[in-house]
Amino acid sequence: MDFATLASQFFIGLSRGMIFFIVAAGLTLIFGVLRITNFAHGALYMLGAFIAYSVSTLFGQGPYGFWLALLVAPIAVMLVSLVIERGLLRFIYNRNHLIQMLLTYSLVLIAGDLVKIIWGTEYKSMDIPGVLRGSFNLWGASLPWYNAFLLIVGPIVALGLWLFLSKTHLGKICRATATDREMVDVLGINSTRVFAMVFALGGWLAGLGGALIAPTTTISMGMDASIIIYAFLIVVIGGLGNIWGALISSIIMGVGEAFGILFIPSIAIIIPYMIAGVLLIVRPSGLLKSAW
Amino acid sequence: MLQVEQLQKAFDGFQAIADAHLSVPKGEVVAVIGPNGAGKSTLFNLITGHLQADSGHVRFKGEEITKLSPFKICHKGMARSFQLINIFSSLTVFENVQTSVLAIHRLDKNFFRPSRKLLVEETLEVLDSFGLYDFKDRSCSSLSYGDQKVLEIAIALGSKPELLLLDEPTAGMSSEETRKIVNLIKRLSQEKGLTILLTEHDMELVFDVAQKIMVLHQGRTIAQGLPEAIRNDKAVQNAYLGETG
Amino acid sequence: MSTKKFSNYLGLGLAVAGILILLILPNMLSQYYVYLIATVFTTALLASSLNLVLGYGGLLHLHHGVFFGVGAYTVAIVMTKTSWPFAVAVLLAPIIAALIALVIGWFCVRLRGLYFGMLTLALGQLVWAIVYRWNALTEGDNGIHAIPVPEFLTSINSVYYTTLVVLVLALIILYVINKSPFGLTLLATRDNPVRSESVGINVKRHRLIAFVIAGFFSGIAGVLFVLVERSVAPSLLFWNKSAEILIMCLMGGLTVFMGPTLGAGILVLLSMVVGLYTEYWLLVLGLLLLILVLFLPQGILGYAMEKYDKRRSIGGEN
Repeated sequence: MDFATLASQFFIGLSRGMIFFIVAAGLTLIFGVLRITNFAHGALYMLGAFIAYSVSTLFGQGPYGFWLALLVAPIAVMLVSLVIERGLLRFIYNRNHLIQMLLTYSLVLIAGDLVKIIWGTEYKSMDIPGVLRGSFNLWGASLPWYNAFLLIVGPIVALGLWLFLSKTHLGKICRATATDREMVDVLGINSTRVFAMVFALGGWLAGLGGALIAPTTTISMGMDASIIIYAFLIVVIGGLGNIWGALISSIIMGVGEAFGILFIPSIAIIIPYMIAGVLLIVRPSGLLKSAW
Repeated sequence: MLQVEQLQKAFDGFQAIADAHLSVPKGEVVAVIGPNGAGKSTLFNLITGHLQADSGHVRFKGEEITKLSPFKICHKGMARSFQLINIFSSLTVFENVQTSVLAIHRLDKNFFRPSRKLLVEETLEVLDSFGLYDFKDRSCSSLSYGDQKVLEIAIALGSKPELLLLDEPTAGMSSEETRKIVNLIKRLSQEKGLTILLTEHDMELVFDVAQKIMVLHQGRTIAQGLPEAIRNDKAVQNAYLGETG
Repeated sequence: MSTKKFSNYLGLGLAVAGILILLILPNMLSQYYVYLIATVFTTALLASSLNLVLGYGGLLHLHHGVFFGVGAYTVAIVMTKTSWPFAVAVLLAPIIAALIALVIGWFCVRLRGLYFGMLTLALGQLVWAIVYRWNALTEGDNGIHAIPVPEFLTSINSVYYTTLVVLVLALIILYVINKSPFGLTLLATRDNPVRSESVGINVKRHRLIAFVIAGFFSGIAGVLFVLVERSVAPSLLFWNKSAEILIMCLMGGLTVFMGPTLGAGILVLLSMVVGLYTEYWLLVLGLLLLILVLFLPQGILGYAMEKYDKRRSIGGEN
């Protein structure tokens, strides 16, 4: 195995890790602030992909379709999330984990069939926009432009989240809520608004993840089932509620999976679960401390 | 019966217990007192294994128990009550005490005998001695606060301990309920010969029941001795004055 | 006291009457319904075994379907890849399921709450992935079909009676365990693990034992599944199957012994009925779950028990 293959597989894993991160960041943010384990996060991701497909198809898969989809799909998913939070989630904030999980799971079931009703059961696919098609040469390895694009988007999102959390008022409240719930109550911060906004932001991230993955894969029912498990594992491995932990574990999972496919393709599917299992056993409370 | 030596424990750089010493002789009632935040509850948690000490020793009946887990320490003959009510909320009063009686007889992993027929008399005896007999079939969460505090201690007694630790046994109680607890402590000590270690805010109670007092201040043992000696100790007076003044 | 005794007799009477009805039922129904009810029995055992850990142990066990799948696959593999007798397959299935539960549980009981749940999910999915990929042993994606079973278990009526008898026996054993010191102590560790430790209970060990017992009975349910379906597929071990079991437990009531059985019955039969009218069963299930979570989180039997207790306590005051 030559260096070029290794390097290109590494970059592909890294770019896959970026998608993981964008999805998992939303999940971990929601967990940190709302203390809710949101199974529906995968469904929101799937919704993002389907909406992106529809938007880009509407514009004839033309050059602007993709960019418009990238803009519209996350916002649409954000609005859906807002409705979910205001309409349902806020009634179960003080219930136990199981009840909360099953509520979000009910949304998974509902969303699955709704997608089927709206978009039908055939597989969908979406074109990569012209400028991001093809691949370029890096140290003798051929790397698709789209993956390079993901490698740029991922860090931008991470940077944006960092700015949001450390520089904005709402972001600071999020951090405070994640570390110490009571303090926020004492300070009299309107947690209702914070919860709604954080859930909407989480939804936006899920939608963005879905829109970004859409051109690289077949858009289909059931694409939520595996991403949600990956995202959960990433969140837990990284330390519940910790965005930087999620970033690290996303990269570990993405790269681990990519090398798995390269070296032992027959059991590549096992690799992420194995990584997760081992890390959870070695560091039961996550790589980084929970919350910030 | 119990020796604590040079015990230390820090949380995230905060030295909760800096240097604690304590010796509890068999058959006596010993009280640990100190201002708020002196580390009394932490000390208890270190002794009973709920927290792991950074350094130092806890010896029980001459045996090192510093690294043991709580359930092992319980089986060695030490039981405790908690400051905040800490009972089995969905169980009846009877089952609350029976759980600890079953565990101490190592019957807690028995699968095929109906638990309602096991160790009934011993459980009822404990309930009776705490005046809880009439409540035995009630859900423990339906009891009054005072009765829950009593149940809290009854659960500990279900473990048939040689040494009983009581963490703020009268916290939040009315004066009448407090008197009941004082009588209970005296009875346990005099009739059953139980060794008791307690923390308490109520100084009147402490000087009433304790044969020996240890004063903890900022995680350090600053005095230890007979109640009279403690009352006149300069360091102790400073510690308390320092807090109120 | 006498009302309590009366209600006990009433419960026993109802149980006996119910079993009698179930015994004569196959003579009155078409084969399809007999098959469906046998599926209910299988699922009821699966859900009841989960509830030992979930309802009574208070542990967020998110991937119980794995042990069910392992049990089913054990029978399938022994019957198709070896020449061992059927009895060996039947004995081996719950034992292997329990062993897998021991391994997974050994790691999980060190964690609390959500972390416990997530590790059950991670390790469970790991088992799923292995089954999915180990073509030589499990036929991978295709699953194993037309699994041979002994002659006397080929008719649907005999399968029905077998599953019924196994379910009743298993429920009796689980009930005895619930009422034993082990069961009481399990409730104590659920209510208050810290206090449990301090009265001399090895909480982790206790939880591990409960986990293994649950895995064992889940493995038995897996055997029943093979009898009913005669085929296995990796989807048995995928996490959404486990979520379905969780819904059954919640629907019937986590705190009531027969709750999961009721939940399993409702869900299996409902999916059949809904399937007659629409292909969107999951949508219906989702809406049902939503209503359940928002308005009836204690479950159907849990709600009934609350009402019953309230009436009794009001009656007692008069």
